Amino acid sequence: MDRDVERLDALPRLGPLFAKALLPQPRAEARLPARTVVVTGLAQPLPRLADYDRVCGFPLRDRVPATWLHVLTFGLHLHLLSAQESTIRLPGLVHVTNRMRLHRPVDATEVLDLSVRAGGLRPHRRGALLDLVGEVRAGDDLVWDGTSTYLAPGANTPGEVAAEPRPPFEVVPPIATWRLPAGLGRDYRRVSGDPNPIHTSVLAARAFGFARPIIHGMWTHARLLAALDARLPGAFTVDVSFAKPILLPSTVGAWWQPDGDGWRAAVTTRDGANPYLTATITP
Amino acid sequence: MQLPRTPVVVGGNRTPFAKTGGAYASASNQDMLTAALDGLAARFGLAGRQLDEVAAGAVLKHARDFNLTREAVLSSALAPTTPAVDLQQACGTGLEAVIYIANKIALGQADVGVGGGVDSASDAPIAVSEGFRRALLAANRARTLPDRLKAFASLRPSDLAPVAPQVVEPRTGLSMGQHQARTTATWGITREAQDELAAASHRNLAAAWSAGFFDDLVTPYLGLTKDNVLRPDTSVEKLAALKPVFGDTMTAGNSTALTDGAAVVLLAEQAWAQEQGLPVLARVVDAQVAAVDHTSGDDLLLAPAHAVARLLARQGMGLGDFALYELHEAFASTVLATMAAWESDAWCRERLGRDGALGSIDRDRLNVTGSSLATGHPFAATGGRIVATLAKLLHERGAGARGLVSVCAAGGQGVVAILEAV
Repeated sequence: MDRDVERLDALPRLGPLFAKALLPQPRAEARLPARTVVVTGLAQPLPRLADYDRVCGFPLRDRVPATWLHVLTFGLHLHLLSAQESTIRLPGLVHVTNRMRLHRPVDATEVLDLSVRAGGLRPHRRGALLDLVGEVRAGDDLVWDGTSTYLAPGANTPGEVAAEPRPPFEVVPPIATWRLPAGLGRDYRRVSGDPNPIHTSVLAARAFGFARPIIHGMWTHARLLAALDARLPGAFTVDVSFAKPILLPSTVGAWWQPDGDGWRAAVTTRDGANPYLTATITP
Repeated sequence: MQLPRTPVVVGGNRTPFAKTGGAYASASNQDMLTAALDGLAARFGLAGRQLDEVAAGAVLKHARDFNLTREAVLSSALAPTTPAVDLQQACGTGLEAVIYIANKIALGQADVGVGGGVDSASDAPIAVSEGFRRALLAANRARTLPDRLKAFASLRPSDLAPVAPQVVEPRTGLSMGQHQARTTATWGITREAQDELAAASHRNLAAAWSAGFFDDLVTPYLGLTKDNVLRPDTSVEKLAALKPVFGDTMTAGNSTALTDGAAVVLLAEQAWAQEQGLPVLARVVDAQVAAVDHTSGDDLLLAPAHAVARLLARQGMGLGDFALYELHEAFASTVLATMAAWESDAWCRERLGRDGALGSIDRDRLNVTGSSLATGHPFAATGGRIVATLAKLLHERGAGARGLVSVCAAGGQGVVAILEAV
């Protein structure tokens, strides 16, 4: 597909973008920017990687976590959804599913080219779904790609509402109990650059209907991969479905089970009865 | 003495050693130990394999790292069913961990294991003061709010200052450098001799890197591919320009720098290793620890001089019976004073109970690929670095070539061992 390409010299600063993204949008038919936004020649910031690893539970390895590559592209998500021609803004979006593929191990010292495009607007019973599709390249290699699917509540787009397949969930006694401290949202904000105050401020969380701040879904995703880290192959696909937000502070359960050549895993309520996040990992 | 089974060094792996606050400033001991284990697993095809035990340790250790080695194993490519133990004997940790695994192999309690160590001076634990710690514990025990407040009422402002670890001997209040400065003066070790030894260490290490010697001993980590304490262009003249920091002759150039890094050694029973098609570099012949009483004036870092004498006596060997010597360079003057002690009739008579001197060492066989002055010295990682290096060097020289390892440690201790090429 031919698309316009917008090249940025560096990853954008997210605070100002976020403020812009808070401006109200018209209720007309939803539109997304048609261009691809690109940052090339990005050296991975090692101190931030180390901080990210610490916050999410990864060891500091030469091979970076797959979810770290998502975090690198996140600024471009926000950039696209803050553009003039986008009627959809990131605040208020609900991250419903995420799929990423690590095509090969990526070294912390590799210089990367990032690109993100928005698309896939389709109706949903509560508004519209859209995809933010990121790619990470090292030289000529596509090393990572990821699709973050968000729900834009109340957004309007033509078409038939497709059936939503609910990922199967079975009640399994959790292997691990994780205690998520009240300040975890601030820690993850620091390493991810996601400035959304619903993760850090009680007032902001209440404004969006949550009793307390909620942890970023991508932290929960990363923490689950960190639990499996040493067992993951050099290339894999991980599909995640976010069932329910986790309010901070919280104590949650987590389990993982081999499934064929891959894994099934979930982050659940402490007793394992209800899912916050379900995941499948395939080689 | 022939052991019932033969523990051998299969190979080793370490991170490049990094100046403190540099390339590994963000890495924890667990990160670095995991990286060293992963490199070892990659080199010897151990991914997913269950080893009999991994023994390692760190000198500067966080309270949360009570199970450091086991946690590193769980983060590594080794099978999660590989057991692990933390050992600590100050700078002797790495060598002691190798001896521990070798002994288990000799006794039939293990066929294959890993010994090593890690240290980070960058990510050193910072503790609360003793006063604050006691107040916290008292408050924790208190059952009522007033009691809890009373516990904190005893605090003075100075109690709130954090406490960083120090390399100070608790019983003398002297730093290791201050102790060694006394030893340097006692033995009349000159500035020139120290700088010459330091220059040789850098020269030898630089030559070994250039020759690709470390290609199968080191795996790059976090973008660092070589030891970066190393100064290939240093010289006796450049070293002579440095100001003394301990006593009149010890400088930053002839003392080891604070360093971050990890090193591990793969050990196995010889027949087992051969069946598995693994390399067999050198057998671990024997080992010895010794301690001196520095609290009564003994030279703090000369315990290895005693340990070597006992080891040689047990093995019926002489000091000259070795193709190579690896004397850990805590300070250049430590190596020089140790050798001077062995050459002294009076000292060997009085302190070792011998008829005369133990002997002297051919300097051309000493630390031939450099030692801690040039590589740096991440305390617990040094033993693993030396054992893997020496095993490879001995193997290159051919079966029967013997090497002596000597490492001094805080608390007036010394750990020594003999390797012999297979």
